[in-house]
Amino acid sequence: MCSLWPPIDKSLYNGVWVYLERDGHKLKDVGLELLGKARELAAKLGGVEVGAVLVAAGRELAQEAIYHGADRVVLIENPELETYTPVEYAKAIATVVQKYKPEIFLIGATKRGRELAAYIANSLTTGITADCTALDVEPQTRDLHQIRPTFGGTQLAIIKTPHRRPQMASVRPGVFPKPPRDVGRVGEIVVERVEVERKTRLLARERRVEIDVDLPPVESSEVVVAGGRGLGSGEGFKLLAELAKLLGGTVGASLMAVRAGWVPHSRQIGQTGKTIRPKVYIAVGVSGAIQHIMGVMESKTIIAINPDPNAPIMKNADYAVVGDYKEIIPALLEELRKYLS
Amino acid sequence: MKFVVLTKAAVPLSSAIRIDPKTGTLVREGVPLTANVWDRDAVEFALEMRDRYGGEVVAISMAPPTGILALESLIGMGVDRAILASDRAFAGADTWATAHVLAKTIEKYVPDFDLVVTGEETIDSTTAHIGAQTASWLGVPYLYYVYNAEVRGRTLIAKRFLEDEGVDEVYELKMPAVISVLRSSQIPREVKLSRKLTAREHLQIVDNSKLGLDQDCVGLRGSPTMVVGMSPAAYPPRKRIVISGAPGEVAKKVAEVLRELGVVCAVSGLQ
Repeated sequence: MCSLWPPIDKSLYNGVWVYLERDGHKLKDVGLELLGKARELAAKLGGVEVGAVLVAAGRELAQEAIYHGADRVVLIENPELETYTPVEYAKAIATVVQKYKPEIFLIGATKRGRELAAYIANSLTTGITADCTALDVEPQTRDLHQIRPTFGGTQLAIIKTPHRRPQMASVRPGVFPKPPRDVGRVGEIVVERVEVERKTRLLARERRVEIDVDLPPVESSEVVVAGGRGLGSGEGFKLLAELAKLLGGTVGASLMAVRAGWVPHSRQIGQTGKTIRPKVYIAVGVSGAIQHIMGVMESKTIIAINPDPNAPIMKNADYAVVGDYKEIIPALLEELRKYLS
Repeated sequence: MKFVVLTKAAVPLSSAIRIDPKTGTLVREGVPLTANVWDRDAVEFALEMRDRYGGEVVAISMAPPTGILALESLIGMGVDRAILASDRAFAGADTWATAHVLAKTIEKYVPDFDLVVTGEETIDSTTAHIGAQTASWLGVPYLYYVYNAEVRGRTLIAKRFLEDEGVDEVYELKMPAVISVLRSSQIPREVKLSRKLTAREHLQIVDNSKLGLDQDCVGLRGSPTMVVGMSPAAYPPRKRIVISGAPGEVAKKVAEVLRELGVVCAVSGLQ
């Protein structure tokens, strides 16, 4: 065993805990989703405690965590931690986790969550698996199965942390369902004061005004209409946006359309962009390179519109619509409007 | 100033991926490795800072010997020197054991570093762990998703963008520090062939006899996480129903499909 790993007594580690990220004075959904999963894992482990860690939040938010499944919530209090800074937050959270010794500690893989997770794991001399899409436990060994897609999404790996505790995993938003809010649930709220040595300071914060701000991001939309090189020009995206709005969805793009400068990089779907899991994915003029397909594989339904019936995207679609999008989409818009009126 | 760029010599996407059936880890031996594409943003960022403040950029990677190819092209971009930490004992490492080797290489060969720069994440593993873990090993502050920075005395003023919140933030970090660079935020310079051809002169390979790390704390054995199983990802099978014909007819059929899927609702149409 590695000489740098402090010896641990695994039997002293109990419970499934979750870090709850705030967005101002609100809890982000991903933390609540993890509380739901934590309850399920805790039951399989013989009914152990579900805990939550919150930084610089009020009792109201702690109460929300209890309503969503926490038995105990630790509120880290320190005026120095009012605003988020990575190293100070990571150290404060690690200090509390070290004290309460959960056997499993889960973090939402938002951008801030990804920033914190690996530092916390390192501070606790334990391993961590990023972006798990499924979690399970072996009741005998109490080992957490951390399941994640890997090698470009072609494989699912089952990963364990057999010798260290806590076992850590991060999970992206929207992977697990949000548990119902139950105001009848009771739990304990504990306040912990944690000292920090300040090395980072936030100087300014500003919400960026994006050009396409009226359309939601691709990763959180139920319907995504994406365009590829086959659109021929950036103009084509106007039609796609019209369709997306009518379906309450958003617009995405293939790498080729982003490279052509028709849409910003934040809308790129595929291995070098976003992985999406919408209810309906509509690919227009997208050839369907494997890197693109990997990013949309988990869509519930795929509709492809392409003049070439042999384009790879057509083989990976539930509905392969053969034809010119410039003719089909205006006719489709008309059909949908007829129905809606 | 001394800038360190951490880079992963990754298995290119196009290569046939091979997995060691015993360890469940990716086989990197004998595969021509290329620098992780998103590390080019990090390299450009470090080179630009060196051009502004003077000093040197050292690229560090942990990889099998074929990782030399990846480092050579970074030297071709203008990196001053490169260190490849390479040893059979490092194979199969998870992110904890990888950051361990990288941090110890930095401490031994660039002890007076001012800034460590990484890419946002790697294209083949996409964990974004190494930056934070290296910062933890080195005991220095860190910040992810940076696209712009300046040095003021012994502090770094860094601008970063959080894509999921659509928020820009400016932070002050005590140096030395670790940052990751927002992907696609830089325009990486070209590889100069003339410089790339002399790359070997600027490249050093160090094995564990030089680093002297506990064999049980590196590679597969030194990894707290362990791959215990691997299965091809199962995705929903596709129906492959072909809809073709006159545009009007096709549109009618597609509209019907969308209605059946329940995504055409009066609310969304009322905007």
